Amino acid sequence: MAKPVSVSDASLLKLDRQKVRKRGFNIRKHMLLYLMILPGFLYFVVFKYFPMGGLIIAFQDYQPYRGIMGSEWVGFKHFIRLFTEPTFFMLLRNTLVLFALNIIFFFPLPIILALMLNEVRHKFFKNSIQTIIYIPHFMSWVIIVSITYVFLTVDGGVVNELLAAVGLPKISFLTSSEWLRTVYIGQIIWKELGWSTIIYLAAITVVDTQLYEAAEMDGANRLRKTWHVTLPAIRPVIITLLILKIGSTLDLGFEHMYLLLNSLNREVAEIFDTYIYTAGLRNGQLSYSTTVGLFKGVVGLILVMLSNRLAKKMGEDGVY
Amino acid sequence: MKNVAKKVRTTGALLLCTTIALLTACGGGANQAASNQPYDENAKANISWLNILHTASPPTDTILNKLEEKTNADIEFSWIPDASKEERINTSLASDSLADIVTLTMLDNSSVRNSLKSGLFWDVGPYLNEYPNLAKITEDTRRSASIGGTLYGIPFQKDLARNGVTIRKDWLDKLGLETPRTTEELMEVAKAFTENDPDGNGKKDTTGFVDRSDLIYGAFKTLSSYFGTPNVWEVSEDGKMTPEFMTQGYMDTMDYMKELYQGGYINQDFAVTAKTDQQQKFAQGRAGIYVGALFDSKNLLNMAKGLQDGMELVLVNDITSTGNESDRAIWAANNGIGGLLSFPRSEVKDEAELKRVLKFVNDLLDEESYALMTYGIEGTHYTVDDQDAATITNSDLWQQEVQPFASSRPKESGYKIHDADPLKKESDKLIAENAKYAVLNPAYALESETFSTQGSELQKTITDATYKYILGEIDQDGFEAAVESWKKAGGSNMISEYEAAYQETQS
Repeated sequence: MAKPVSVSDASLLKLDRQKVRKRGFNIRKHMLLYLMILPGFLYFVVFKYFPMGGLIIAFQDYQPYRGIMGSEWVGFKHFIRLFTEPTFFMLLRNTLVLFALNIIFFFPLPIILALMLNEVRHKFFKNSIQTIIYIPHFMSWVIIVSITYVFLTVDGGVVNELLAAVGLPKISFLTSSEWLRTVYIGQIIWKELGWSTIIYLAAITVVDTQLYEAAEMDGANRLRKTWHVTLPAIRPVIITLLILKIGSTLDLGFEHMYLLLNSLNREVAEIFDTYIYTAGLRNGQLSYSTTVGLFKGVVGLILVMLSNRLAKKMGEDGVY
Repeated sequence: MKNVAKKVRTTGALLLCTTIALLTACGGGANQAASNQPYDENAKANISWLNILHTASPPTDTILNKLEEKTNADIEFSWIPDASKEERINTSLASDSLADIVTLTMLDNSSVRNSLKSGLFWDVGPYLNEYPNLAKITEDTRRSASIGGTLYGIPFQKDLARNGVTIRKDWLDKLGLETPRTTEELMEVAKAFTENDPDGNGKKDTTGFVDRSDLIYGAFKTLSSYFGTPNVWEVSEDGKMTPEFMTQGYMDTMDYMKELYQGGYINQDFAVTAKTDQQQKFAQGRAGIYVGALFDSKNLLNMAKGLQDGMELVLVNDITSTGNESDRAIWAANNGIGGLLSFPRSEVKDEAELKRVLKFVNDLLDEESYALMTYGIEGTHYTVDDQDAATITNSDLWQQEVQPFASSRPKESGYKIHDADPLKKESDKLIAENAKYAVLNPAYALESETFSTQGSELQKTITDATYKYILGEIDQDGFEAAVESWKKAGGSNMISEYEAAYQETQS
């Protein structure tokens, strides 16, 4: 189907093509468009690209009062320290395990919930459920971790009191390394499940209703319709979100883990984000923590590119 | 076309300007107060102060106005909450957004130390004796607050050793127990408080100790003093340095805590309990032994009003593991130095300006300023009798308007005016007594490159292992393995660096 061509576009096509080619881009012609890009462009330059220059301190022994120009250059010293310290493998392991658990246990849930919500026919009921499940998203991690603390503490926490009442031994959820991951993923599910359905629900609404009618003609029941119509229709959205998620593999969220972290669960709870914070901001090792951050960023970039390529191989669009 | 391009550029420039203005606005506040003209000793000075806030919210202006009147200065505070002081101070140092006066409390933090040593701040040593109140700072204090022999600010003079044990007197009486004098007796009391229903409600809902997730300011370090553990480092006759956790005293303390934990004589989740929760639990009558700063007792009693009206407290500072008076010991936090009031060269530009700020600090040390920052305004916040004993009359107002200034006092004791509250008086007395038995950290003023770069990381290994030992997750072998890995990861270097530095000071 040919796209409608407006008068102005036509003139561009005919007259300006040569010019455009020659000069790369035509500011005057597309003044408005460029103006519209400008704020976003500035945002990226000022807040994303400009600060990247600071990465240079990963190769220095940066001392704030000497500045970047005055600090000593030390080459790969901090990288060597990072890769030779045993902490590195602990950080990598913890981060990857938590990421894997996140993908396995959390990622599919919003899809399932969105599909289920889609099947709810009663409009008022559906809307109220949606509103209610969005609420946890707006709570800060401090509140959620505090609520968990009140529930799970050994000294009078509801869960442990219940366990004790039915004669089971109390479990120290907050100070044991075995429970940390369960608690962590559980909290993420509680907080983000509802909110994450939004994009899927939006994707579902644009599915062509004719397809459902056609499926009904063929005798498909609700389950079949979901499986053969809805799911394939939102597949590109799922893939896109998965790629984005993989890109932030090492970005597990500082605040959440920092609140859960304590001396007794550190060996499974310390992740790159919390490590950067303690090493960099609290102990003032700015260069070293920049190195850790740089490593994190590079791994993230590689993962996005890999998963994007994989998605394309599987016949999807990918994110770029 | 030219016009349009120009327009684009102007718009861009405008946007950029706005962004930059927004960016710098947050850091600008501290800089404004520092003007370039030299200060006249008697002219009204503009002084900005980056200070630590220990209360939930900053104070209102009531006391500030009085202080400004008193010191003939316009004071502009930037408050940093105590809980986030590390990152805030570090970022302030890194971005050079400082104030005329900067309160530096963590002198063992590597970036603070580095910036002090780099000459970012004025060396105030030569000036102190020009001011009557500053001249009174003792040589000892000046020496312990110095880094590499230079005094980079006016030291906060704190009590040397402030910790001890607070026990529910009414519970002791009810169960017919004596005030404990040895660690063994303390264990007995903890056991009785747990098992013999001291609150008489027929339920086993109390514990002996209530502790928080802090091995230093919580119970552990104070108990460790009772077992004869050195304060962070021990130095032998021949100059060998031993970290505290490689001593028998430390092991004994861990075993003691382990026994408390396994017997249920301590709140079972102490490893994740915050200070406020700890104090709440004590105030609610869920535990009867609190180990911490002795002056906390007054707060505990205040908090218990309406919850545990029968609460009576006894303060103990003479517990030992042997029962011998000669073994009494109590660790001294930071060797009695509460930090420095430092003056960055970037803000305090010349000597004249420095002198004006020093005069300001000198004025803060006056009796009158101390009373103002401790008790408030007479008649409004407190009354005072002819013995100079002050009673807070409006404690809500006091908490709002006066309490936050506690951290602005360069000196906390040695004034005529004192608290009329019997518990506060008692704790002041015991804290003064503690000074005689104070154990200092011999490495406090020494330099170690490894400590500066990795100190806190290494300490984490030990802290984690200590908790695990107490909670029974590892045994002695496991703990020793942790100590070995501490040594390998840099601990051994730290020991030899400290030994070398110690040798230097001796020769």
